[in-house]
Amino acid sequence: MVQLIMRQVMYEAQRALASPVRNPRMATVIGRLLGLAFVLCFGTGLYSHFLQEPLPGMHFATRPELLYQFTQGTHIVAGIACFPLLLAKLYIVFPDLFQQPPVKSFLNFLERASIALFVGASLVQITIGLLNTYQWYPWPFPFRETHFALGWVLIGSLALHIGIKLPIIARVWRKNADDGSGDDDHLTDAVAHDRAATPEAVRLFGSSRPTGVTGRLLAWIDATPALRVERSRSSASGPDAPDSGAAPQTAAGTGSGPASGPTADPAAPARNSAAARNRLSRRGFLTTVGVSVGTVVVLTAGQTVAPLDSLNAFAPRKKGVGQQGVPVNRTSKQADVAADALAAGWVLTVAHAGVERSFSRAELLALPQTEVELPIACVEGWSQLARWRGVRLRDLADLVSADAEASFRLTSLEKKGGYRQTTMGSEYVRDPLTLVALELNGETLDLEHGYPARMIAPGRPGVLQTKWLSRIEAMDV
Amino acid sequence: MSTASVTPQTGTAPQPNPLETPRENPALTPALRVTRVVLIALGLAGLAWGAYVLLDTVKPARIPGIALWMGAAIVLHDAVISPLVFFCGILLRRAGDRTSGTVILVVQGALVVGSIMTLIVVPLLIAQSRGTGNPTVLPLDYGVNFAVFWGVLAVITAAASFGLYARGRKRLR
Repeated sequence: MVQLIMRQVMYEAQRALASPVRNPRMATVIGRLLGLAFVLCFGTGLYSHFLQEPLPGMHFATRPELLYQFTQGTHIVAGIACFPLLLAKLYIVFPDLFQQPPVKSFLNFLERASIALFVGASLVQITIGLLNTYQWYPWPFPFRETHFALGWVLIGSLALHIGIKLPIIARVWRKNADDGSGDDDHLTDAVAHDRAATPEAVRLFGSSRPTGVTGRLLAWIDATPALRVERSRSSASGPDAPDSGAAPQTAAGTGSGPASGPTADPAAPARNSAAARNRLSRRGFLTTVGVSVGTVVVLTAGQTVAPLDSLNAFAPRKKGVGQQGVPVNRTSKQADVAADALAAGWVLTVAHAGVERSFSRAELLALPQTEVELPIACVEGWSQLARWRGVRLRDLADLVSADAEASFRLTSLEKKGGYRQTTMGSEYVRDPLTLVALELNGETLDLEHGYPARMIAPGRPGVLQTKWLSRIEAMDV
Repeated sequence: MSTASVTPQTGTAPQPNPLETPRENPALTPALRVTRVVLIALGLAGLAWGAYVLLDTVKPARIPGIALWMGAAIVLHDAVISPLVFFCGILLRRAGDRTSGTVILVVQGALVVGSIMTLIVVPLLIAQSRGTGNPTVLPLDYGVNFAVFWGVLAVITAAASFGLYARGRKRLR
């Protein structure tokens, strides 16, 4: 008995939720875009991860200078685009939640479990990613490690999901290759227009409808008019006109046999009207998804895409806002460095194989100066082009006769934090654009930007552009 | 409603659910079958690697929190957002009973666009009100921008709806 009620509830839920946009074709269309966004996020995320934690022997491109700004900007923009895309995808497949029986076989159980994991991981991933850009961490787990591990879970789930659904995807593609005329033969579509109890339901459950509140709610849902399509005179004849002929579609929908009366079908005009309505719904849905993606991207991407700066209404950063026109990721107060950084006795120590040389700021300024134009590009997705002036790192490396292949360990005045000490590969050390910067946009480097001296190198994440430098040390090759 | 053309079902229960994906496994070409196996294998490998990375880098005491968040996300979507969207859709359809479908779709679309932006902006407003200790993070007047956003959305939607309405009337005349 309970089982029967459950089945009926599931059946009614699926029927009530059925809609012309909830079909395998739409799932494939939106799924393709969402999959692309996931792959972009994963690829750029992996790149950013390895920049920060390179595997032994890894080397990275230092050109174009905008490389990291581009990859990480893409990471965040694609991540934001995932919000409308993921919600759209979940909207399309939502009726599948009420599959009956809930579990058909062990394999089916595994598939449903993998989808739950996929959905949960996707929602958490884009949510914590977004909140991280707001520097708000209301969760009980570490962000970076979790985001990275879930990235693998997501991309694995994606491959698994595509693999499992490949027959459906292939069928949709085959249909597309024909002419797309099969648009309207999806079962979910057909049921959508029969808003009253079907003989199928009567047969399955004995009575047409549950009684009481549930029954009334369902009747109320059923009584909801379908979309009206303006079509010359037929729809002008009365507001209910499109509704009346929808039922015959059920015949095709039950899949038990061909619709009766293929010749001189009296329901043909009504079916045309239903088809037009389906097309309208689908176009409306796709347009809505497109406009949503466009809106969330255009109103936030200005934090890294300069031409969109004037439309930047909701990004967590704004170009030009910050000391010397450059945003700041970690303040001197958060890093607790002000006293040491402003101390009169500050020196930068450059070391190699027991040789140590110390430079005061004045001594660094006395060395040959180079000016470069490089972006500071943060892992949180914002970037800011700026003019930096200072000493080439390779000149300092040469002063202590460091090996050309040597990586360098950079140490900040920061007392704690994951980026207090970082490693810079030789490709960056030897790059002519890599500076120990002393000036920013024509002024003495602000304390918030790393005074007395900081690193700036092409194509590296902002967290590795070590501020408040204290020691630079060549590592053994 | 007309039931004349419904072909009666024969046979006994259980009947296949009419909403199920039909023709589950049409003949896949050999190439597709190989692709499928490879994708599933790669997917399982990715999942396993993700689980390993998680266990390797996150303290065990933190992992239930991740599971909780994933579960809560699913519940929030399936039990709150989706029913809300469903009933909003029905209400809108009923309210616009005599309105043309295109106008309803425009209004519905605008509500969706606005809601998604709201999902993104509300946490922003909360984070801003909590303060970040860094004046260059969340520096804009997001509340004002948010009001302007909804205003512009409302104006565009009204203009588009009116345009469609006028066009529909003209066509009917």
